[in-house]
Amino acid sequence: MIFETLLSQMPYLVHGLTVAIGLLVCLLSLGLALGLVLAILEVYGHWTLRLVCVLFERVFRGIPAIVLLLLFYYGVTDYIEMGSFTAAVLALGLRSAAYQSQIFRGAFLSVPNGQMMAARAMGMNKLQAIRDIIIPQALRMSIGPWTNEFSSELKATSLAYVIGVVELTRQAKYIISNTQGNILVVFGVVALMYFVVNRAGNWALYRLENRLSLPGFEHRGDA
Amino acid sequence: MLLRVENIHKSYGAAEILKGVSFDMAPGQSKVIMGPSGTGKSTLLRCINHLTPPDKGRIFVDGEELTAKNLNTMRQKVAFVFQDFNLFTHLRTVENVAIGPRKLRGFGKKAALDLAYKELERVGLSDRADAYPAELSGGQQQRASIARALAMEPKLILFDEPTSALDPELTGEVVSVMNKLASEGMTMLVVSHEIGFARKAADEIIFMEGGKIIEQGPPSQIFNAPQQDRTRAFLNVIEHGDDA
Repeated sequence: MIFETLLSQMPYLVHGLTVAIGLLVCLLSLGLALGLVLAILEVYGHWTLRLVCVLFERVFRGIPAIVLLLLFYYGVTDYIEMGSFTAAVLALGLRSAAYQSQIFRGAFLSVPNGQMMAARAMGMNKLQAIRDIIIPQALRMSIGPWTNEFSSELKATSLAYVIGVVELTRQAKYIISNTQGNILVVFGVVALMYFVVNRAGNWALYRLENRLSLPGFEHRGDA
Repeated sequence: MLLRVENIHKSYGAAEILKGVSFDMAPGQSKVIMGPSGTGKSTLLRCINHLTPPDKGRIFVDGEELTAKNLNTMRQKVAFVFQDFNLFTHLRTVENVAIGPRKLRGFGKKAALDLAYKELERVGLSDRADAYPAELSGGQQQRASIARALAMEPKLILFDEPTSALDPELTGEVVSVMNKLASEGMTMLVVSHEIGFARKAADEIIFMEGGKIIEQGPPSQIFNAPQQDRTRAFLNVIEHGDDA
């Protein structure tokens, strides 16, 4: 009985999962692009730019995700028209940018000074040196800490529920309302889905980290 | 003159490191800068390509003055070899050598790699082309960084204590590459206490102390008949050790 319900409702859950993953990909991409820019400006920028970046990062790291979602959906949509999905991408994506900027900032700072100096000494300008020498090294070091960000943002997509994005958690709520009950089983399946995506993502990132690791810079040895 | 260094001054806070240093270099010359530590030798070298911009004074390369505007093009003519190599850790040896021609000199990928292999052969590292810097010995890393400098086809190479980070057994292979370059007519300005190179390959020794040049001349004169007591005392120490 309960399995029949589950089976018949499975397409909704799968659809909810694809929305959640879509939201995750969008917000992480926004966070990656903006976080990288913020980190570069924080480390190499003029002090005024650095100030702006630090301010942005403090604000977005200092406000609960759910409050950001409500602010963007109910606050900003009064002035700029956007759907709940877009609002969720912006709220969670900007917040992720703040967190990711700190991952990248740490990675930039851990690239030895001599690398920038050698690049500049051969005639590269600062931008070329950052692009061709510093970023390839810093990104490699960022993958480990970035898996954390992946995990927390996957789970944070469920908060988009509150502004009406029909993602996995909200689909579960619909199913429970429509079938009167089955709370434990439905949320159990949903929990399992989040868990599996989380593990799969972490596994893929771990593989990537290993594939890109350089001799002499392995993070996790076999020992 | 290929290089003209004119009245260079540099201070860090209240400490005046360089107190007006001037000298010239003709094409094909090798000069070695010696002197006690803290004397401003490395600072002088860094001032020449503005890695450390001087407070006062001017640098001319090939008749053109080095300014903030032409910095990046001028640096392509003045290569720099670091004490601690600073090879790009994410690139294989051959890519380290190819990246300059590729990104700065407009070479295609194939042409840049061909040139890189050629320069690696020049420093005797062809067999290590595919290794990452962390897989090379110190001496090999320094030779690779010399190949990286050569690939820019510079007018002048600045060497900042190129053997100081190396074990005595490894300095030999770097010095012999430097000797070879000098004999091929490369213009080289070397901060080093490597007597072997100074005697054999240098056209002139510049002896510095306290931010100034106190004596300069051909190695035969400096090593055999130094004019200044200070030079004599210093050379005594580096040739025979502290208790000489």
